[in-house]
Amino acid sequence: MKQQNKGKNTNTKNGDGIIVLKNVIKKFSAKIVLENISLAIEKGKTTVVIGPSGCGKTVLIKHLILLLRPTSGEVYFKGQRIDNLNEGQLNQIRTHYGFLFQGGALFDSLSVTENITFPIRQHCEIPDWNQVGELVKSKLAMVGLDGFQNYYPANLSGGQRKRVALARAIALNPEVILYDEPTTGLDPIRSDVINELILKLQRELNVTSVVVTHDMTSAYKVADRIIMLHKGKIIADGDADFIRNHPHPIVQHFIKGQVSDDDLAVLRMSGTMSQAQFLPRDFEQDL
Amino acid sequence: MIIGTVGAKTIEGVNNMGRFARFAWQSMIASFRSSISPCTYPLIWTQMNIIGVRSVPVVMITGAFVGMTLAVQAYDQLAGMGLEEHLGVLINISVVKELGPVLAAVMLAGRIGGALTAELGTMNVTEQIDAVRSMGTDPVRYLAAPRVLACLLLTPVLIIYADLMGIIGGYFVSVVQLGINSRAYWDFSASGVELWDVSIGIIKGLFFGVAIAVISCYKGFTCKEGAHGVGQACTEAFVASFISILALDFALAVIFKAIYNTFWQIKSLV
Ligand SMILES: Nc1ncnc2c1ncn2[C@@H]1O[C@H](COP(=O)(O)OP(=O)(O)O)[C@@H](O)[C@H]1O
Ligand SMILES: [Mg+2]
Repeated sequence: MKQQNKGKNTNTKNGDGIIVLKNVIKKFSAKIVLENISLAIEKGKTTVVIGPSGCGKTVLIKHLILLLRPTSGEVYFKGQRIDNLNEGQLNQIRTHYGFLFQGGALFDSLSVTENITFPIRQHCEIPDWNQVGELVKSKLAMVGLDGFQNYYPANLSGGQRKRVALARAIALNPEVILYDEPTTGLDPIRSDVINELILKLQRELNVTSVVVTHDMTSAYKVADRIIMLHKGKIIADGDADFIRNHPHPIVQHFIKGQVSDDDLAVLRMSGTMSQAQFLPRDFEQDL
Repeated sequence: MIIGTVGAKTIEGVNNMGRFARFAWQSMIASFRSSISPCTYPLIWTQMNIIGVRSVPVVMITGAFVGMTLAVQAYDQLAGMGLEEHLGVLINISVVKELGPVLAAVMLAGRIGGALTAELGTMNVTEQIDAVRSMGTDPVRYLAAPRVLACLLLTPVLIIYADLMGIIGGYFVSVVQLGINSRAYWDFSASGVELWDVSIGIIKGLFFGVAIAVISCYKGFTCKEGAHGVGQACTEAFVASFISILALDFALAVIFKAIYNTFWQIKSLV
Protein backbone atom coordinates (compact mmCIF):
# COMPACT_ATOMS: atom_id res chain seq x y z
CA MET A 1 0.00 0.00 0.00
CA LYS A 2 1.63 3.12 -1.26
CA GLN A 3 -0.83 5.74 -0.15
CA GLN A 4 -3.40 5.68 2.57
CA ASN A 5 -6.32 7.69 1.40
CA LYS A 6 -9.10 5.25 1.95
CA GLY A 7 -12.45 6.92 1.71
CA LYS A 8 -10.85 10.19 0.86
CA ASN A 9 -10.82 12.12 -2.36
CA THR A 10 -7.25 13.11 -3.11
CA ASN A 11 -8.48 15.90 -5.33
CA THR A 12 -9.39 17.99 -2.30
CA LYS A 13 -5.71 18.93 -1.99
CA ASN A 14 -5.70 21.05 -5.11
CA GLY A 15 -2.88 23.41 -5.89
CA ASP A 16 0.18 21.21 -5.31
CA GLY A 17 0.29 19.26 -8.54
CA ILE A 18 2.27 19.59 -11.73
CA ILE A 19 -1.03 19.78 -13.62
CA VAL A 20 -4.16 21.02 -11.89
CA LEU A 21 -7.70 21.15 -13.20
CA LYS A 22 -10.15 23.36 -11.31
CA ASN A 23 -13.88 23.00 -11.87
CA VAL A 24 -13.43 22.05 -15.49
CA ILE A 25 -16.63 21.70 -17.49
CA LYS A 26 -16.56 20.65 -21.14
CA LYS A 27 -19.56 20.79 -23.42
CA PHE A 28 -19.80 19.92 -27.09
CA SER A 29 -22.71 22.10 -28.18
CA ALA A 30 -25.44 20.91 -25.78
CA LYS A 31 -23.73 17.68 -24.71
CA ILE A 32 -21.93 17.82 -21.38
CA VAL A 33 -18.89 15.51 -21.45
CA LEU A 34 -16.99 16.70 -18.36
CA GLU A 35 -18.99 17.86 -15.36
CA ASN A 36 -17.04 19.97 -12.95
CA ILE A 37 -13.78 18.02 -12.76
CA SER A 38 -11.22 19.11 -10.18
CA LEU A 39 -8.00 17.17 -10.14
CA ALA A 40 -4.34 17.60 -9.24
CA ILE A 41 -1.81 15.40 -11.01
CA GLU A 42 1.15 14.80 -8.70
CA LYS A 43 4.66 15.27 -10.00
CA GLY A 44 6.65 12.09 -10.53
CA LYS A 45 3.65 9.83 -9.96
CA THR A 46 1.62 7.70 -12.32
CA THR A 47 -2.04 8.55 -12.32
CA VAL A 48 -4.37 6.15 -14.09
CA VAL A 49 -7.80 7.21 -15.33
CA ILE A 50 -10.22 4.34 -15.84
CA GLY A 51 -13.76 4.31 -17.13
CA PRO A 52 -15.96 2.73 -19.77
CA SER A 53 -15.68 3.71 -23.43
CA GLY A 54 -17.28 7.03 -24.23
CA CYS A 55 -17.16 8.34 -20.66
CA GLY A 56 -14.85 11.22 -21.61
CA LYS A 57 -11.38 9.85 -20.82
CA THR A 58 -9.85 11.10 -24.06
CA VAL A 59 -11.57 14.45 -23.63
CA LEU A 60 -10.18 14.68 -20.08
CA ILE A 61 -6.60 13.82 -21.03
CA LYS A 62 -6.68 16.31 -23.91
CA HIS A 63 -7.53 19.05 -21.41
CA LEU A 64 -4.31 18.34 -19.51
CA ILE A 65 -2.32 19.53 -22.54
CA LEU A 66 -4.97 21.99 -23.74
CA LEU A 67 -5.62 20.21 -27.02
CA LEU A 68 -9.19 20.92 -25.99
CA ARG A 69 -10.14 24.07 -24.14
CA PRO A 70 -12.53 23.85 -21.19
CA THR A 71 -15.96 25.42 -21.63
CA SER A 72 -15.41 26.78 -18.14
CA GLY A 73 -12.90 26.17 -15.37
CA GLU A 74 -9.14 26.53 -15.09
CA VAL A 75 -6.07 24.50 -15.98
CA TYR A 76 -2.65 25.03 -14.39
CA PHE A 77 0.75 23.68 -15.36
CA LYS A 78 3.47 24.09 -12.70
CA GLY A 79 1.35 26.74 -11.02
CA GLN A 80 0.89 28.79 -14.19
CA ARG A 81 -2.60 29.15 -15.55
CA ILE A 82 -2.56 27.87 -19.12
CA ASP A 83 -6.16 27.63 -20.29
CA ASN A 84 -6.20 31.33 -21.20
CA LEU A 85 -2.95 31.29 -23.20
CA ASN A 86 -2.97 31.55 -26.97
CA GLU A 87 -1.80 28.71 -29.21
CA GLY A 88 1.65 30.22 -29.67
CA GLN A 89 2.28 30.35 -25.92
CA LEU A 90 0.78 26.90 -25.46
CA ASN A 91 3.18 25.46 -28.02
CA GLN A 92 6.02 26.42 -25.67
CA ILE A 93 4.30 24.68 -22.75
CA ARG A 94 3.50 21.60 -24.83
CA THR A 95 7.16 20.86 -25.47
CA HIS A 96 7.26 19.65 -21.84
CA TYR A 97 4.69 16.99 -22.68
CA GLY A 98 4.62 13.77 -24.62
CA PHE A 99 1.25 12.54 -25.82
CA LEU A 100 0.49 9.02 -26.97
CA PHE A 101 -2.71 9.08 -29.01
CA GLN A 102 -5.30 6.33 -28.86
CA GLY A 103 -4.75 5.36 -32.51
CA GLY A 104 -1.07 6.33 -32.58
CA ALA A 105 -1.67 9.30 -34.91
CA LEU A 106 1.58 8.72 -36.78
CA PHE A 107 2.06 10.92 -39.84
CA ASP A 108 1.19 8.73 -42.84
CA SER A 109 3.45 10.59 -45.22
CA LEU A 110 6.55 10.26 -43.02
CA SER A 111 8.70 7.20 -42.31
CA VAL A 112 9.17 5.83 -38.79
CA THR A 113 12.44 7.74 -38.42
CA GLU A 114 10.92 10.97 -39.70
CA ASN A 115 7.98 10.53 -37.35
CA ILE A 116 10.22 10.10 -34.34
CA THR A 117 12.51 12.97 -35.30
CA PHE A 118 9.56 15.28 -36.02
CA PRO A 119 9.55 16.96 -32.59
CA ILE A 120 13.35 17.15 -32.66
CA ARG A 121 13.42 18.80 -36.07
CA GLN A 122 10.73 21.26 -34.99
CA HIS A 123 12.39 22.37 -31.78
CA CYS A 124 16.13 21.78 -31.90
CA GLU A 125 19.02 22.84 -34.01
CA ILE A 126 20.43 19.55 -35.22
CA PRO A 127 24.21 19.59 -35.01
CA ASP A 128 24.84 15.98 -35.87
CA TRP A 129 22.58 13.62 -37.78
CA ASN A 130 24.48 10.52 -36.61
CA GLN A 131 23.57 11.39 -33.07
CA VAL A 132 19.92 11.70 -34.10
CA GLY A 133 20.14 8.29 -35.77
CA GLU A 134 21.47 6.83 -32.52
CA LEU A 135 18.65 8.46 -30.60
CA VAL A 136 16.03 7.03 -32.95
CA LYS A 137 17.66 3.62 -32.61
CA SER A 138 17.61 3.75 -28.83
CA LYS A 139 14.00 4.97 -28.64
CA LEU A 140 12.91 2.25 -31.07
CA ALA A 141 14.84 -0.36 -29.11
CA MET A 142 12.92 0.69 -25.99
CA VAL A 143 9.64 -0.22 -27.69
CA GLY A 144 11.14 -3.32 -29.34
CA LEU A 145 11.10 -2.03 -32.91
CA ASP A 146 14.74 -1.35 -33.78
CA GLY A 147 15.21 -2.09 -37.47
CA PHE A 148 11.91 -0.58 -38.53
CA GLN A 149 13.43 2.87 -39.16
CA ASN A 150 12.52 3.05 -42.85
CA TYR A 151 9.03 1.59 -42.66
CA TYR A 152 5.97 3.72 -43.32
CA PRO A 153 2.98 3.64 -40.92
CA ALA A 154 0.84 1.95 -43.58
CA ASN A 155 3.17 -1.07 -43.45
CA LEU A 156 2.97 -1.52 -39.68
CA SER A 157 0.36 -3.35 -37.63
CA GLY A 158 -1.85 -1.42 -35.24
CA GLY A 159 0.23 -2.44 -32.23
CA GLN A 160 3.50 -1.55 -33.95
CA ARG A 161 2.13 1.86 -34.87
CA LYS A 162 1.24 2.48 -31.27
CA ARG A 163 4.74 1.56 -30.14
CA VAL A 164 6.31 3.85 -32.73
CA ALA A 165 3.95 6.56 -31.52
CA LEU A 166 5.21 5.95 -28.00
CA ALA A 167 8.81 6.27 -29.21
CA ARG A 168 7.84 9.60 -30.79
CA ALA A 169 6.10 10.78 -27.61
CA ILE A 170 9.27 10.24 -25.57
CA ALA A 171 11.65 11.64 -28.21
CA LEU A 172 12.16 14.97 -26.44
CA ASN A 173 12.44 13.41 -22.95
CA PRO A 174 9.27 15.10 -21.72
CA GLU A 175 8.52 15.74 -18.06
CA VAL A 176 4.92 14.68 -18.41
CA ILE A 177 3.73 11.81 -20.58
CA LEU A 178 0.05 11.37 -21.32
CA TYR A 179 -0.93 7.91 -22.54
CA ASP A 180 -4.32 7.43 -24.18
CA GLU A 181 -5.04 3.70 -23.98
CA PRO A 182 -1.42 2.56 -24.41
CA THR A 183 -2.17 -1.15 -24.17
CA THR A 184 -5.45 -1.37 -26.07
CA GLY A 185 -5.01 -3.54 -29.16
CA LEU A 186 -1.70 -5.06 -28.02
CA ASP A 187 -1.20 -8.69 -27.10
CA PRO A 188 -0.72 -9.40 -23.37
CA ILE A 189 3.08 -9.68 -23.63
CA ARG A 190 3.43 -6.39 -25.52
CA SER A 191 1.03 -4.77 -23.08
CA ASP A 192 3.30 -5.81 -20.26
CA VAL A 193 6.33 -4.41 -22.08
CA ILE A 194 4.52 -1.07 -22.32
CA ASN A 195 3.64 -1.27 -18.62
CA GLU A 196 7.29 -1.92 -17.76
CA LEU A 197 8.30 1.00 -19.97
CA ILE A 198 5.89 3.32 -18.19
CA LEU A 199 7.35 2.20 -14.85
CA LYS A 200 10.92 2.51 -16.13
CA LEU A 201 10.40 6.06 -17.39
CA GLN A 202 8.92 7.02 -14.06
CA ARG A 203 11.68 5.35 -12.01
CA GLU A 204 14.67 6.49 -14.03
CA LEU A 205 13.63 9.89 -15.33
CA ASN A 206 11.06 10.72 -12.66
CA VAL A 207 8.48 11.35 -15.37
CA THR A 208 4.94 12.27 -14.41
CA SER A 209 2.53 9.96 -16.21
CA VAL A 210 -1.18 10.03 -16.79
CA VAL A 211 -2.51 6.81 -18.26
CA VAL A 212 -6.01 6.48 -19.63
CA THR A 213 -7.04 2.85 -19.91
CA HIS A 214 -9.74 0.29 -19.39
CA ASP A 215 -7.20 -2.49 -19.03
CA MET A 216 -7.31 -3.20 -15.27
CA THR A 217 -4.19 -5.41 -15.29
CA SER A 218 -2.23 -2.50 -16.66
CA ALA A 219 -3.93 -0.06 -14.30
CA TYR A 220 -3.05 -2.07 -11.18
CA LYS A 221 0.51 -2.57 -12.35
CA VAL A 222 1.50 1.01 -13.13
CA ALA A 223 -0.77 3.11 -10.95
CA ASP A 224 0.23 5.14 -7.94
CA ARG A 225 -3.29 6.43 -8.00
CA ILE A 226 -6.42 5.39 -9.88
CA ILE A 227 -9.28 7.69 -10.81
CA MET A 228 -12.54 6.32 -12.10
CA LEU A 229 -14.54 8.49 -14.47
CA HIS A 230 -18.21 7.85 -15.01
CA LYS A 231 -20.54 10.03 -17.05
CA GLY A 232 -18.15 12.96 -16.86
CA LYS A 233 -17.69 12.81 -13.09
CA ILE A 234 -14.97 11.37 -10.88
CA ILE A 235 -16.65 8.66 -8.82
CA ALA A 236 -13.59 7.09 -7.21
CA ASP A 237 -10.07 8.32 -6.52
CA GLY A 238 -7.39 6.47 -4.60
CA ASP A 239 -4.66 3.83 -4.79
CA ALA A 240 -5.10 0.35 -6.26
CA ASP A 241 -6.32 -1.23 -3.03
CA PHE A 242 -8.74 1.57 -2.42
CA ILE A 243 -10.26 1.01 -5.85
CA ARG A 244 -10.30 -2.79 -5.44
CA ASN A 245 -12.34 -2.47 -2.26
CA HIS A 246 -14.46 0.44 -3.38
CA PRO A 247 -18.09 0.01 -2.31
CA HIS A 248 -19.63 1.74 -5.34
CA PRO A 249 -21.34 -0.91 -7.52
CA ILE A 250 -20.39 0.84 -10.79
CA VAL A 251 -16.73 0.72 -9.76
CA GLN A 252 -17.00 -2.95 -8.78
CA HIS A 253 -18.71 -3.89 -12.04
CA PHE A 254 -16.11 -2.04 -14.06
CA ILE A 255 -12.99 -3.40 -12.40
CA LYS A 256 -14.30 -6.94 -12.46
CA GLY A 257 -15.49 -6.63 -16.02
CA GLN A 258 -19.02 -7.67 -15.11
CA VAL A 259 -22.10 -6.49 -16.87
CA SER A 260 -24.50 -4.68 -14.53
CA ASP A 261 -27.88 -6.13 -13.62
CA ASP A 262 -29.69 -3.42 -15.57
CA ASP A 263 -27.81 -4.24 -18.78
CA LEU A 264 -28.46 -7.95 -18.26
CA ALA A 265 -32.15 -7.27 -17.85
CA VAL A 266 -32.20 -5.48 -21.20
CA LEU A 267 -30.53 -8.44 -22.87
CA ARG A 268 -33.04 -10.86 -21.37
CA MET A 269 -36.00 -8.69 -22.28
CA SER A 270 -35.10 -8.46 -25.94
CA GLY A 271 -36.31 -11.96 -26.73
CA THR A 272 -34.50 -14.93 -28.21
CA MET A 273 -31.79 -14.57 -30.81
CA SER A 274 -33.82 -16.21 -33.56
CA GLN A 275 -36.53 -13.61 -33.11
CA ALA A 276 -34.02 -10.84 -33.45
CA GLN A 277 -32.59 -12.11 -36.71
CA PHE A 278 -33.72 -11.37 -40.20
CA LEU A 279 -34.23 -14.43 -42.35
CA PRO A 280 -34.52 -14.42 -46.13
CA ARG A 281 -38.09 -15.69 -45.93
CA ASP A 282 -39.13 -12.51 -44.09
CA PHE A 283 -38.58 -10.62 -47.32
CA GLU A 284 -39.99 -13.12 -49.77
CA GLN A 285 -43.32 -11.37 -50.24
CA ASP A 286 -41.54 -8.25 -51.43
CA LEU A 287 -39.75 -10.02 -54.23
CA MET B 1 -40.03 26.89 -33.68
CA ILE B 2 -39.20 27.84 -37.26
CA ILE B 3 -37.88 31.20 -36.14
CA GLY B 4 -35.71 29.42 -33.60
CA THR B 5 -34.26 27.08 -36.23
CA VAL B 6 -33.62 29.89 -38.68
CA GLY B 7 -32.06 31.95 -35.92
CA ALA B 8 -29.80 29.09 -34.83
CA LYS B 9 -28.72 28.45 -38.42
CA THR B 10 -27.97 32.12 -38.92
CA ILE B 11 -25.89 32.32 -35.77
CA GLU B 12 -24.03 29.18 -36.79
CA GLY B 13 -23.43 30.62 -40.26
CA VAL B 14 -22.03 33.84 -38.84
CA ASN B 15 -19.84 31.84 -36.42
CA ASN B 16 -18.50 29.74 -39.29
CA MET B 17 -17.73 32.87 -41.29
CA GLY B 18 -15.87 34.26 -38.31
CA ARG B 19 -13.86 31.07 -37.84
CA PHE B 20 -13.06 30.93 -41.53
CA ALA B 21 -11.96 34.56 -41.56
CA ARG B 22 -9.67 33.91 -38.60
CA PHE B 23 -8.25 30.80 -40.22
CA ALA B 24 -7.68 32.65 -43.48
CA TRP B 25 -5.90 35.45 -41.65
CA GLN B 26 -3.73 33.01 -39.65
CA SER B 27 -2.77 31.06 -42.73
CA MET B 28 -1.84 34.25 -44.62
CA ILE B 29 0.43 35.32 -41.76
CA ALA B 30 1.91 31.84 -41.48
CA SER B 31 2.47 31.72 -45.23
CA PHE B 32 4.21 35.06 -45.16
CA ARG B 33 6.47 33.91 -42.32
CA SER B 34 7.21 30.64 -44.14
CA SER B 35 8.06 32.47 -47.32
CA ILE B 36 10.87 34.32 -45.56
CA SER B 37 12.29 31.39 -43.57
CA PRO B 38 14.37 29.06 -45.75
CA CYS B 39 14.02 26.06 -43.42
CA THR B 40 10.42 25.61 -44.60
CA TYR B 41 11.34 25.63 -48.28
CA PRO B 42 11.61 21.83 -48.56
CA LEU B 43 8.01 21.53 -47.31
CA ILE B 44 6.84 24.03 -49.92
CA TRP B 45 8.88 22.29 -52.60
CA THR B 46 7.26 18.93 -51.79
CA GLN B 47 3.81 20.46 -52.02
CA MET B 48 4.66 22.17 -55.30
CA ASN B 49 5.63 18.83 -56.75
CA ILE B 50 2.45 17.18 -55.55
CA ILE B 51 0.18 20.05 -56.51
CA GLY B 52 1.80 21.41 -59.61
CA VAL B 53 3.43 18.77 -61.72
CA ARG B 54 0.54 16.37 -61.83
CA SER B 55 -1.96 19.13 -62.61
CA VAL B 56 -0.26 20.17 -65.84
CA PRO B 57 -1.99 17.64 -68.14
CA VAL B 58 -5.55 18.32 -66.95
CA VAL B 59 -5.06 22.05 -67.12
CA MET B 60 -3.61 21.85 -70.63
CA ILE B 61 -6.47 19.70 -71.86
CA THR B 62 -8.97 22.12 -70.33
CA GLY B 63 -7.30 25.06 -72.07
CA ALA B 64 -7.13 23.35 -75.46
CA PHE B 65 -10.82 22.47 -75.46
CA VAL B 66 -11.81 25.98 -74.40
CA GLY B 67 -9.94 27.49 -77.35
CA MET B 68 -11.25 24.95 -79.81
CA THR B 69 -14.86 25.24 -78.70
CA LEU B 70 -14.75 29.02 -78.81
CA ALA B 71 -13.50 28.88 -82.39
CA VAL B 72 -16.27 26.54 -83.49
CA GLN B 73 -18.99 28.56 -81.77
CA ALA B 74 -17.89 32.05 -82.71
CA TYR B 75 -17.01 31.34 -86.35
CA ASP B 76 -20.58 31.24 -87.67
CA GLN B 77 -21.59 34.44 -85.95
CA LEU B 78 -18.58 36.36 -87.21
CA ALA B 79 -18.70 34.82 -90.69
CA GLY B 80 -22.34 35.98 -90.99
CA MET B 81 -21.08 39.54 -90.63
CA GLY B 82 -18.04 38.90 -92.80
CA LEU B 83 -15.75 39.40 -89.83
CA GLU B 84 -14.28 35.92 -89.58
CA GLU B 85 -10.72 37.22 -89.73
CA HIS B 86 -11.35 38.87 -86.34
CA LEU B 87 -11.90 35.45 -84.80
CA GLY B 88 -8.39 35.51 -83.30
CA VAL B 89 -9.11 38.59 -81.15
CA LEU B 90 -12.30 37.11 -79.83
CA ILE B 91 -10.84 33.74 -78.99
CA ASN B 92 -7.57 34.92 -77.55
CA ILE B 93 -8.99 37.70 -75.44
CA SER B 94 -11.66 35.39 -74.01
CA VAL B 95 -9.07 32.72 -73.29
CA VAL B 96 -6.40 34.81 -71.60
CA LYS B 97 -8.73 37.13 -69.73
CA GLU B 98 -11.62 34.99 -68.58
CA LEU B 99 -12.07 31.43 -69.63
CA GLY B 100 -8.49 30.23 -69.31
CA PRO B 101 -7.99 31.44 -65.73
CA VAL B 102 -11.50 30.61 -64.51
CA LEU B 103 -11.77 27.16 -66.01
CA ALA B 104 -8.22 26.24 -65.08
CA ALA B 105 -8.94 27.37 -61.51
CA VAL B 106 -12.16 25.35 -61.39
CA MET B 107 -10.25 22.35 -62.64
CA LEU B 108 -7.64 22.91 -59.92
CA ALA B 109 -10.33 23.35 -57.28
CA GLY B 110 -11.45 19.83 -58.11
CA ARG B 111 -8.04 18.35 -58.61
CA ILE B 112 -6.00 20.01 -55.84
CA GLY B 113 -8.76 21.18 -53.54
CA GLY B 114 -10.24 17.71 -53.30
CA ALA B 115 -6.88 16.13 -52.56
CA LEU B 116 -5.93 18.76 -49.97
CA THR B 117 -9.21 18.51 -48.13
CA ALA B 118 -9.17 14.72 -48.16
CA GLU B 119 -5.58 14.58 -46.91
CA LEU B 120 -5.99 17.15 -44.15
CA GLY B 121 -9.45 15.83 -43.26
CA THR B 122 -8.06 12.34 -42.81
CA MET B 123 -5.21 13.75 -40.73
CA ASN B 124 -7.79 15.53 -38.62
CA VAL B 125 -10.01 12.51 -37.93
CA THR B 126 -7.01 10.28 -37.19
CA GLU B 127 -5.77 12.86 -34.66
CA GLN B 128 -2.63 13.66 -36.68
CA ILE B 129 -3.38 17.38 -36.52
CA ASP B 130 -3.75 17.09 -32.74
CA ALA B 131 -0.44 15.22 -32.78
CA VAL B 132 1.23 18.16 -34.53
CA ARG B 133 -0.19 20.47 -31.87
CA SER B 134 0.77 18.15 -29.02
CA MET B 135 4.39 18.38 -30.12
CA GLY B 136 4.28 22.15 -29.85
CA THR B 137 4.04 22.90 -33.56
CA ASP B 138 1.45 25.15 -35.12
CA PRO B 139 -0.48 23.02 -37.65
CA VAL B 140 -1.41 26.10 -39.65
CA ARG B 141 2.27 26.86 -40.12
CA TYR B 142 3.35 23.29 -40.71
CA LEU B 143 0.44 22.02 -42.83
CA ALA B 144 -1.55 24.93 -44.26
CA ALA B 145 1.16 27.46 -45.09
CA PRO B 146 3.20 25.27 -47.48
CA ARG B 147 0.03 24.34 -49.34
CA VAL B 148 -1.19 27.92 -49.59
CA LEU B 149 2.20 29.06 -50.87
CA ALA B 150 2.43 26.23 -53.37
CA CYS B 151 -1.03 27.08 -54.74
CA LEU B 152 -0.24 30.78 -54.78
CA LEU B 153 2.90 30.22 -56.83
CA LEU B 154 1.62 27.50 -59.12
CA THR B 155 -1.89 28.55 -60.10
CA PRO B 156 -0.63 31.44 -62.26
CA VAL B 157 1.90 29.13 -63.90
CA LEU B 158 -0.77 26.55 -64.62
CA ILE B 159 -2.98 29.30 -66.02
CA ILE B 160 -0.21 30.22 -68.44
CA TYR B 161 -0.23 26.61 -69.63
CA ALA B 162 -4.01 26.73 -70.03
CA ASP B 163 -3.79 30.03 -71.94
CA LEU B 164 -1.13 28.67 -74.21
CA MET B 165 -3.09 25.56 -75.04
CA GLY B 166 -6.26 27.62 -75.50
CA ILE B 167 -4.47 29.83 -78.01
CA ILE B 168 -3.05 26.83 -79.84
CA GLY B 169 -6.43 25.08 -79.81
CA GLY B 170 -8.19 28.18 -81.14
CA TYR B 171 -5.56 28.63 -83.83
CA PHE B 172 -5.79 25.00 -84.85
CA VAL B 173 -9.55 25.08 -85.39
CA SER B 174 -9.67 28.56 -86.97
CA VAL B 175 -6.75 28.31 -89.33
CA VAL B 176 -6.29 24.62 -89.98
CA GLN B 177 -9.92 23.51 -89.91
CA LEU B 178 -11.93 26.58 -90.86
CA GLY B 179 -9.33 27.96 -93.24
CA ILE B 180 -8.91 31.50 -91.95
CA ASN B 181 -5.81 33.25 -93.22
CA SER B 182 -3.10 32.68 -90.65
CA ARG B 183 -1.48 36.09 -91.02
CA ALA B 184 -4.76 37.96 -90.63
CA TYR B 185 -5.62 35.79 -87.64
CA TRP B 186 -2.45 36.70 -85.78
CA ASP B 187 -2.42 40.35 -86.89
CA PHE B 188 -5.89 40.98 -85.52
CA SER B 189 -5.04 39.04 -82.37
CA ALA B 190 -1.90 41.09 -81.79
CA SER B 191 -3.75 44.35 -82.22
CA GLY B 192 -6.61 43.29 -79.96
CA VAL B 193 -4.89 41.54 -77.06
CA GLU B 194 -2.75 43.72 -74.82
CA LEU B 195 -0.16 42.73 -72.27
CA TRP B 196 -2.67 44.04 -69.75
CA ASP B 197 -5.20 41.37 -70.71
CA VAL B 198 -2.72 38.56 -70.26
CA SER B 199 -1.45 39.95 -66.96
CA ILE B 200 -4.82 40.28 -65.33
CA GLY B 201 -5.55 36.66 -66.25
CA ILE B 202 -2.40 35.64 -64.44
CA ILE B 203 -2.93 37.98 -61.50
CA LYS B 204 -6.38 36.49 -61.05
CA GLY B 205 -4.59 33.17 -60.76
CA LEU B 206 -2.84 34.37 -57.59
CA PHE B 207 -6.18 35.11 -55.97
CA PHE B 208 -7.81 31.90 -57.18
CA GLY B 209 -4.86 29.84 -55.93
CA VAL B 210 -5.00 31.32 -52.44
CA ALA B 211 -8.78 30.95 -52.31
CA ILE B 212 -8.65 27.27 -53.30
CA ALA B 213 -5.88 26.47 -50.82
CA VAL B 214 -7.30 28.37 -47.86
CA ILE B 215 -10.82 27.01 -48.33
CA SER B 216 -9.62 23.44 -48.82
CA CYS B 217 -7.30 23.57 -45.81
CA TYR B 218 -10.04 25.09 -43.67
CA LYS B 219 -12.50 22.37 -44.67
CA GLY B 220 -9.88 19.72 -43.95
CA PHE B 221 -9.01 21.19 -40.54
CA THR B 222 -12.66 21.40 -39.49
CA CYS B 223 -13.72 18.08 -40.97
CA LYS B 224 -16.17 15.95 -38.98
CA GLU B 225 -15.49 12.43 -37.73
CA GLY B 226 -15.36 9.42 -39.98
CA ALA B 227 -15.22 8.60 -43.68
CA HIS B 228 -18.54 10.36 -44.16
CA GLY B 229 -17.12 13.53 -42.62
CA VAL B 230 -14.13 13.53 -44.96
CA GLY B 231 -16.34 13.01 -48.02
CA GLN B 232 -18.64 15.78 -46.95
CA ALA B 233 -15.73 18.14 -46.34
CA CYS B 234 -14.40 17.48 -49.87
CA THR B 235 -17.74 18.26 -51.46
CA GLU B 236 -18.15 21.41 -49.41
CA ALA B 237 -14.62 22.50 -50.22
CA PHE B 238 -15.20 22.13 -53.94
CA VAL B 239 -18.52 23.96 -53.93
CA ALA B 240 -17.13 26.77 -51.78
CA SER B 241 -14.00 27.08 -53.94
CA PHE B 242 -16.06 27.12 -57.12
CA ILE B 243 -18.36 29.85 -55.89
CA SER B 244 -15.53 31.96 -54.55
CA ILE B 245 -13.65 31.63 -57.85
CA LEU B 246 -16.66 33.01 -59.69
CA ALA B 247 -17.27 35.71 -57.10
CA LEU B 248 -13.60 36.71 -57.06
CA ASP B 249 -13.58 36.76 -60.84
CA PHE B 250 -16.46 39.20 -60.84
CA ALA B 251 -14.97 41.40 -58.14
CA LEU B 252 -11.56 41.44 -59.81
CA ALA B 253 -13.12 42.28 -63.18
CA VAL B 254 -14.72 45.35 -61.66
CA ILE B 255 -11.55 46.39 -59.85
CA PHE B 256 -9.26 45.83 -62.83
CA LYS B 257 -11.57 47.72 -65.10
CA ALA B 258 -11.38 50.72 -62.80
CA ILE B 259 -7.61 50.45 -62.62
CA TYR B 260 -7.36 50.07 -66.38
CA ASN B 261 -9.50 53.13 -67.00
CA THR B 262 -7.44 55.31 -64.72
CA PHE B 263 -3.88 54.15 -65.33
CA TRP B 264 -3.39 52.14 -68.50
CA GLN B 265 -4.91 54.86 -70.63
CA ILE B 266 -2.72 57.53 -69.17
CA LYS B 267 0.22 55.35 -70.11
CA SER B 268 -0.98 54.99 -73.67
CA LEU B 269 -1.40 58.77 -73.92
CA VAL B 270 2.18 59.41 -72.90
N1 LIG C 1 -15.04 16.79 -30.91
C1 LIG C 1 -16.14 16.28 -30.35
N2 LIG C 1 -17.36 16.76 -30.69
C2 LIG C 1 -18.47 16.29 -30.12
N3 LIG C 1 -18.51 15.29 -29.22
C3 LIG C 1 -17.34 14.76 -28.84
C4 LIG C 1 -16.09 15.22 -29.38
N4 LIG C 1 -15.10 14.51 -28.81
C5 LIG C 1 -15.69 13.66 -27.96
N5 LIG C 1 -17.03 13.79 -27.97
C6 LIG C 1 -17.99 13.04 -27.15
O1 LIG C 1 -17.48 12.96 -25.85
C7 LIG C 1 -17.74 11.71 -25.30
C8 LIG C 1 -16.48 11.15 -24.68
O2 LIG C 1 -15.59 10.81 -25.69
P1 LIG C 1 -14.15 10.23 -25.38
O3 LIG C 1 -13.46 11.11 -24.41
O4 LIG C 1 -13.48 10.03 -26.71
O5 LIG C 1 -14.47 8.82 -24.72
P2 LIG C 1 -13.43 7.73 -24.21
O6 LIG C 1 -13.63 7.69 -22.74
O7 LIG C 1 -13.84 6.45 -24.85
O8 LIG C 1 -12.06 8.17 -24.62
C9 LIG C 1 -18.31 10.83 -26.37
O9 LIG C 1 -19.68 10.66 -26.13
C10 LIG C 1 -18.10 11.62 -27.64
O10 LIG C 1 -19.21 11.47 -28.49
MG1 LIG D 1 -10.74 7.48 -25.87
